[in-house]
Amino acid sequence: MATLSALIGIVCSTPENGLNGEGVEYFSMSEKALHGLNVIEWAEFVSGPYCGKLLADLGANVIKIEKPGCGDSARAYGPFPRDLPHHESSGLFLYLNTNKLGVTLDTASASGAKVFRRLLEQADILIENHPPGEVAELGFDYESLAAVNPRLIVTSITPFGQTGPFRDYRSCNLVSFHTSGMAFINPSEGVEDTERDAPLKAPEHQGDLMAGLSAAVATMCAVMGREVTGQGQHVDVSEQEALASIMRRELGVYTIEGVTWTRQKGSLLGQTSDVYQCGVGAVHLSCSGDRHWPCWVEVMGNPEWATSEIFLDQALRRENWDAAKVMIEEWLAEHTADEVVSLAEAVRVPCRQVNTARELVESDLLDSRDYFAELDHEVAGQVILPGAPYKLSETPWSVSRPAPRLGQHNVEVYCDRLGYSRDDLVHMRAEGVV
Amino acid sequence: MQKLPLEGIRVLDFTAVWAGPHVTQWLAVMGAEVIKVETNTRPDLTRHVFSGPVAEAPLSAVFAGLNYGKRDCTLNMSLPRARDIARDIARLSDVVAENFGGPVMDRWGLGYADLKEIKPDIIMYAGSGFGRTGPYKESPAFAGIIEAFSGLCSLNSYPGGGPLPLATRGYSDLAAAQHGAFAILAALYHRAKTGEGQYIDLSMTEVMAGFIPEAILDYTMNNRVNGPEGNLHKAMAPHGCYRCAGEDEWVAIAVSSDDDWRSFCNAIGNPPWTADEKFSDALQRLRNRDELDSLVQEWTEGHHHYEAARTLQQAGVMAGPSLKVEEMLADRHLEERGFFVEIDHPQLGAVRLAGLPCKLSDSPPGNYSHAPVLGQDNDYVFREVLKMPEEEIAQLIEEQVIW
Repeated sequence: MATLSALIGIVCSTPENGLNGEGVEYFSMSEKALHGLNVIEWAEFVSGPYCGKLLADLGANVIKIEKPGCGDSARAYGPFPRDLPHHESSGLFLYLNTNKLGVTLDTASASGAKVFRRLLEQADILIENHPPGEVAELGFDYESLAAVNPRLIVTSITPFGQTGPFRDYRSCNLVSFHTSGMAFINPSEGVEDTERDAPLKAPEHQGDLMAGLSAAVATMCAVMGREVTGQGQHVDVSEQEALASIMRRELGVYTIEGVTWTRQKGSLLGQTSDVYQCGVGAVHLSCSGDRHWPCWVEVMGNPEWATSEIFLDQALRRENWDAAKVMIEEWLAEHTADEVVSLAEAVRVPCRQVNTARELVESDLLDSRDYFAELDHEVAGQVILPGAPYKLSETPWSVSRPAPRLGQHNVEVYCDRLGYSRDDLVHMRAEGVV
Repeated sequence: MQKLPLEGIRVLDFTAVWAGPHVTQWLAVMGAEVIKVETNTRPDLTRHVFSGPVAEAPLSAVFAGLNYGKRDCTLNMSLPRARDIARDIARLSDVVAENFGGPVMDRWGLGYADLKEIKPDIIMYAGSGFGRTGPYKESPAFAGIIEAFSGLCSLNSYPGGGPLPLATRGYSDLAAAQHGAFAILAALYHRAKTGEGQYIDLSMTEVMAGFIPEAILDYTMNNRVNGPEGNLHKAMAPHGCYRCAGEDEWVAIAVSSDDDWRSFCNAIGNPPWTADEKFSDALQRLRNRDELDSLVQEWTEGHHHYEAARTLQQAGVMAGPSLKVEEMLADRHLEERGFFVEIDHPQLGAVRLAGLPCKLSDSPPGNYSHAPVLGQDNDYVFREVLKMPEEEIAQLIEEQVIW
């Protein structure tokens, strides 16, 4: 942890007063790339909020709407510092909602719906991830919203999209991952017995994150299109498709070559690049290529077996890889993963440790790239969050404000921005609207 | 006539293999003119490898599926003249993209500093495994390596199991690519407002670190190292993938509340065990989930996966079949949504490929022209864009600069 506190993290100021009356300017010292884009995020848990985060972290003005009372369900998810659950300190929530303003609003109530429409009148983008039927019932379907604000881009992120026979199916990350086809082949050629070992969901919320990501890209396309046309549009993102789109090789190979994958061990792919156990730890090693193989054989001390003609060229090695793998693993068992990586590095053979989150966090790499964002949070204390995966030379990514507390910016948004009086706010509160 | 959102944007594309081409594919489908640069001596690796086991395919599914919508020209970049020509194209471009394993663009005189001199508002995208700075800036990397190094692989397994390689081998490539496309679009937006270009340095490791926030936060908050959870969930039970009647057929089921549980029990006909005290509330179901899972599987084994999912969904329970590749291609829902695109490719004939995962209501369907044949747009690029005289083009072909 010592390396972490030494990081040049972005320490957060408390930006209570960062918002002026127009709700536009926050910190003008360096305008971020998406400065000036006004986004309403009416979404919860992971997919919609990740989309909103990508925009907010690059400078969009994102107002997050949460339901009064318990707020976004990610607030209940954790992990929590010292395992003490508190709705202001859930790690997942703190990660997904950086740089946003937060308000509470009961969009299902008549007065809540009115306030919601007023917010949308001034917005460029609405991000939502509610069931299509529910949205239509509330009168917030795209057609109705476009009538209020034709420039509005509405991005809907749902399990199965806005059309098709499954559009009203309920889903979650698990179900999306399985219906996308990705689970059926996971782990990649990794199990002996497909009767026993079920298709496997990937870690954490890959499906929700991927859907939020694809939605962010598509939303920005719509924003660029609007620069020319002046018109908003409806962006329909299905989580099933966001994952299935990642399967483009497997789907294409089936069409073109008629080959189908499973998670069954047995080298249908002739996959030589793989995870290998070492004496201590494991590595992912790719050594079968024509340039890499002689280097790797030398690293292993030129063993007799490697000269066998069944390993003569890459195609043969691919065919006979099971035999090679046994011998390589025998050699690897005598070495630690760290040793193996050093040896591979010296001859430029692709190889890295199979890290846990701890090893990743402690690695010199992320430290040297100033990856993590460190902030002081009033409830969670010092929090170290994953940073951005990109560095933009002129409009750097930063965490200018932590995830909002529940309803933290009600006054700024409703009174200062929309012009409701403090009295109005008190009434709305009494009604349970905010 | 309506235009695609990115019409008018030109992208000079040096990317190859997996992660880079998916970045520019998004831009191409959305209307940007993407000019991919290859050479006969060094075509994109994925044209012929990384396909399936049938090595004879005239073009790999990977190339066909990652490069549609693009134009293609051949420039032998080992020759100085080719680099001059590339700079000429860059001068007429909005974005230059690359994903080399090291500072190749700098060596060619096409680094950001060089490009900025000839095109001050250029946006340059550099995608790499570990970033363009730091100790691993020149280390070879690809998806499997990144998924291992970033911690993702350590979490990809059955509960208590060792690390296993992730489903599709290009997973982190494609996740990284979409972050790259997003960053480029943000930079284009910024340029439209301010006239300022910039350099984007994307690291795949950092992309994947951002996709396992729970493990990272549990470590930074609680010093705890998470292990794999398989199909399980920390609060829901049942939450898993259950064997069905057909061969290697499975259904995923998630029960998120007591209401869901009652719906689930009704949907499966309320067998006596569902009334057992052991399963009466969420905490009890979690504590007894092994036993619960085998009882749930007794029910699923009597049904096919689509059918089990339909029965449960009709009762409002989250469920879905764990689809095989061939089932995806025949899936009624994906079909109706038009997820797959039909592309007629000169080398492959008519093929059905995964489209991009979004529908824009008021834009035309994306540009799904076939993945380019090597050098198919040489005429367009050298004659129309660069306006080179015929003799010069002939000379350059002769000298194997255009090659």
